[in-house]
Amino acid sequence: MMNIKAFRLVSAIERELLMGDKDHINIECIECCGKNLYVGTNDCFIYHFLLEEKMSPTGKVAFSATKQRHKYLAFKKPVNELKAASALNRLLVLCDNTIALVNMMNLEPIPSGARIKGAVTFALNENPVSVDPFCVEVCIISVKRRTIQMYLVYEDRVQIVKEVSTSEQPFAVAVDGHFLCLALTTQYIILNYNTGASQDLFPYCSEERQPIVKRIGRKEFLLAGPGGLGMFATVDGISQRAPVHWSENVIGAAICFPYVIALDDEFITVHSMLDQQRKQTLPFKEGHILQDFEGRVIVATSKGVYILVPLPLERQIQDLLASQRVEEALVLAKGARRNIPKEKFQVMYRRILQQAGFIQFAQLQFLEAKELFRSGQLDVRELISLYPFLLPTTSSFTRSHPPLHEYADLNQLTQGDQEKMTKCKRFLMSYLNEVRSTEVANGYKEDIDTALLKLYAEADHESLLDLLVTENFCLLTDSVAWLEKHKKYFALGLLYHYNGQDAAAVQLWVNIVNGEIHDSTRSDLYEYIVDFLTYCLDQELVWKYAEWVLQKSEEVGVQIFTKRPLEEQQKNNFNPDDIINCLKKYPKSIIKYLEHLVVDRKVQKEEYHTHLAILYLEKVLQQKPSANGNCAEVTETQAKLRSLLQKSDLYRVHCLIDKIQGTSLHMESAILHGKLEEHDKALHILVHELKDFSAARDYCLWSSQGRDAPYRRRLFHMLLSIYLEPGPSACDLALAAVDLLNLHAAEFDAARVLELVPDGWSVQLLAPFLTRALRESLHTRRMTQAALGLASSENLLYKHDKIKLKGSPVRLSDKKLCQMCESPFCEPAFVRYPNGGVVHTHCAASRHTNPSSSSPGSRT
Amino acid sequence: MKKPDVKIVLLGDMNVGKTSLLHRYMERRFQETVSTVGGAFYLKQWRSYNISIWDTAGREQFHGLGSMYCRGATAIILTYDVNHLQSLVELEDRFLSLTDTASTDCLFAIVGNKIDLTDEGDAEGGAEGLKEQGKALSGRARASRRVRLDDAVALYKKILKYRMLDEKEVPAAEEMCFETSAKTGYNVDHVFETLFDMVVPIILRQRAEGPSQTVDITNYKPVKRTQSRCCD
Repeated sequence: MMNIKAFRLVSAIERELLMGDKDHINIECIECCGKNLYVGTNDCFIYHFLLEEKMSPTGKVAFSATKQRHKYLAFKKPVNELKAASALNRLLVLCDNTIALVNMMNLEPIPSGARIKGAVTFALNENPVSVDPFCVEVCIISVKRRTIQMYLVYEDRVQIVKEVSTSEQPFAVAVDGHFLCLALTTQYIILNYNTGASQDLFPYCSEERQPIVKRIGRKEFLLAGPGGLGMFATVDGISQRAPVHWSENVIGAAICFPYVIALDDEFITVHSMLDQQRKQTLPFKEGHILQDFEGRVIVATSKGVYILVPLPLERQIQDLLASQRVEEALVLAKGARRNIPKEKFQVMYRRILQQAGFIQFAQLQFLEAKELFRSGQLDVRELISLYPFLLPTTSSFTRSHPPLHEYADLNQLTQGDQEKMTKCKRFLMSYLNEVRSTEVANGYKEDIDTALLKLYAEADHESLLDLLVTENFCLLTDSVAWLEKHKKYFALGLLYHYNGQDAAAVQLWVNIVNGEIHDSTRSDLYEYIVDFLTYCLDQELVWKYAEWVLQKSEEVGVQIFTKRPLEEQQKNNFNPDDIINCLKKYPKSIIKYLEHLVVDRKVQKEEYHTHLAILYLEKVLQQKPSANGNCAEVTETQAKLRSLLQKSDLYRVHCLIDKIQGTSLHMESAILHGKLEEHDKALHILVHELKDFSAARDYCLWSSQGRDAPYRRRLFHMLLSIYLEPGPSACDLALAAVDLLNLHAAEFDAARVLELVPDGWSVQLLAPFLTRALRESLHTRRMTQAALGLASSENLLYKHDKIKLKGSPVRLSDKKLCQMCESPFCEPAFVRYPNGGVVHTHCAASRHTNPSSSSPGSRT
Repeated sequence: MKKPDVKIVLLGDMNVGKTSLLHRYMERRFQETVSTVGGAFYLKQWRSYNISIWDTAGREQFHGLGSMYCRGATAIILTYDVNHLQSLVELEDRFLSLTDTASTDCLFAIVGNKIDLTDEGDAEGGAEGLKEQGKALSGRARASRRVRLDDAVALYKKILKYRMLDEKEVPAAEEMCFETSAKTGYNVDHVFETLFDMVVPIILRQRAEGPSQTVDITNYKPVKRTQSRCCD
């Protein structure tokens, strides 16, 4: 059993002071009320002392008692019990079965001689029922068998209020309100003397062992139970606390929160009411009285009086913590809550939690430690400061005094055990990571984040990068030094970037890519830099590294220009001409960039379009000779070239035609001729040079896109005539003509076609064309008829309206005034609006709009 | 100290494993315990309720305390040792009368502990080694007939008769008789949590019926004054 020092035994009255050398005098009872200490002896004396508390130079409490007076009661019987009623200035003295009242100060009997006769023992009601402050309620066990009496005791008189009989002889009593807690011969009971209701508690043989009945608080009693148990019971007959375990021969019990103190013939034992554990044992021989008086615990032998001085709770808690008994310390601290002012308690309790946290921490009980740190609202820097070099050099932090723990640093705590050290560091990482976004971090964000960065860097932890790319408060100087030390150059770049030093960041990364310094954090660092520059707002920086980036990879590098964010493009910070100028040395890059301008951004500027077309053309021509090798790419570039030539109207066609002349790029030159509206030439190339009939057909389709139907028809007819021209390959062309007619019947004027086609062609050959042409013609006719019908019916409607309007005559007289100028009509011409309004012709002309009608009708 | 909403009491002969059961449930481990002195008490937070669980001493010496511990109890767990028939008999003979002080709608659970020591104690796949250990630990248990669950069910029905409860109004015997092993942890949580779930509605009912915390001033009836006149 681990002990704590909760009490110290201090002598209060020396033996000499009381009885000198008279050995036969024994202390029978004591009472203490404020500074007044009374002692009753076996030779019928009462002694009155004044008790002074003194603080010794060593900080220990000592007592000195000064004898005031003594009084002989002249019964020749021992004084059995003393109880003070300070409000009445009376001392109740039980001697020879009589309770007498004496003056508390001079110990003289009161003149009225009021007394209670026939009492074996008595108890005061500490929770009185009566509201009269100048009376005390006394319960006595009467000398009459099985009888309890309640009295009211006033300054100079006593009054019996109740007598109750019990089922068995009572031996001890305590009172709370209307409730008596009684030790009877075979059991303890609760008895309501007002209603007479009784409640059995538990059996106990009072004749074998002295019962103890002690009121310990509102409606709660402490009783001696079987097997040396200290049992708690409430007036409701239930137990709310687990029992404490005393020795079998306990004689007295007292309460000094949170402790239960018990006395037996050899020891004073101290148990905690909070966890029922025995906390302290003080050897004390021949003790026979143990009582508490308003929180002061007095113990006495028959010869001397001692006081059990409680050690301050804080001291006890510190002792517990010092011996690593965290749980007990916390229980004790929590239990003390109601005895200490709230403000003071919170400060104390928080500190205890923090200390407890460090104890758990030192035992690597991290979960428990974390919880304690959290509930104790620990200044995280206390914890960080345990780890060498983690707090920023600029931190003004000093550990709290007195210290929360005994460790200088982690090395001392772990005694150099690397494994433990790693565990501690891992804990701090997770702890700091958890608290950095909570209010615990307020005010220390720099310290926390810098420490976290150092831990991550040292442990090569992946979260280092996360820390640096999100909001953080890492201090620059400290962090730079640390990251350099641990060769975390990529991370260092991120740190620079976070602190607005992008140039330093990029330089560092470039150095890594160039192999000047080593950091393998990212294998795709080059792409990362490109990406970084793409989103970098600092133009100068982009230009500075543009060459380097393009040299590394033309295709990827050009992204710094082509993938810039939209909003920036709209502000047009970069001049495309500058970029083109810069990209001249990088053929792949420049194509990509021009594509970006022309295709993605749809910049409508002739030079870009022409430039791109020429670059495509050059590339195609360059690759043409070795066409076998890189076939796919050639067609890809060629496709791009064709698409550009087709879709764009901005490039300089003549310039390109000049360049393309004499090459085998027939398709392209056809497109270019098409752009110049030289469809005839274009179709000739397609049909005769390329012999690609479907291309020719497509040409007709896309060239006429966005134009009207006759334009398209003209192209198709042109193609048809080319097919039908006499020549060496007339047979192939005739077939192509048939296909064209049959597939695109709608694009032709059937009448003209029939004139064109050779007479030798059978109807069957052109059946699909003819069917469709006929169908088309029929359709057109019917559509026209329908339109005609609709138009004539519309015409009828208007006629109907006209006739209706003409229906009623308009009379014009001298009295009729123009609605607009309000003057009479002088000539027969007038204007009438459909709503009936009549105005002058010149008024109607000057005012085009009429408020009630927008379509003026006129009549003369 | 938090005020408990209800009380659950563990009763049973000494050495049946009451403390071990409670310890297993509260601390999640098995520990050789010493004989309980007087009683001990735990506070368990179950959802938003505080449930106090009293562990009583099985020793004859402390038998007299039982009534007080049971006073006002909402549930009582009667515990016996499945290897020791007498411990079941004792429940009826000695412990049942202690429950007189419990609340009238008190729930009863009957728990046969030490299932790990029986020959067929392989409810949780008991290994051979466990049995060997059991033999070594408790020679007494070997010699005794294992108590059948039916015996516990029969006792439960007797209790209902004793308490004059209608079988239809209380949980069925099959629901309230358990076999456990504090040593392996088998079924232990189930016992406590089944009971906790059953007492929650009782707590709610008690709260609803409980004495109102407010004083109804409208109920105040002025004392009738006898009319006194100064001079007739």
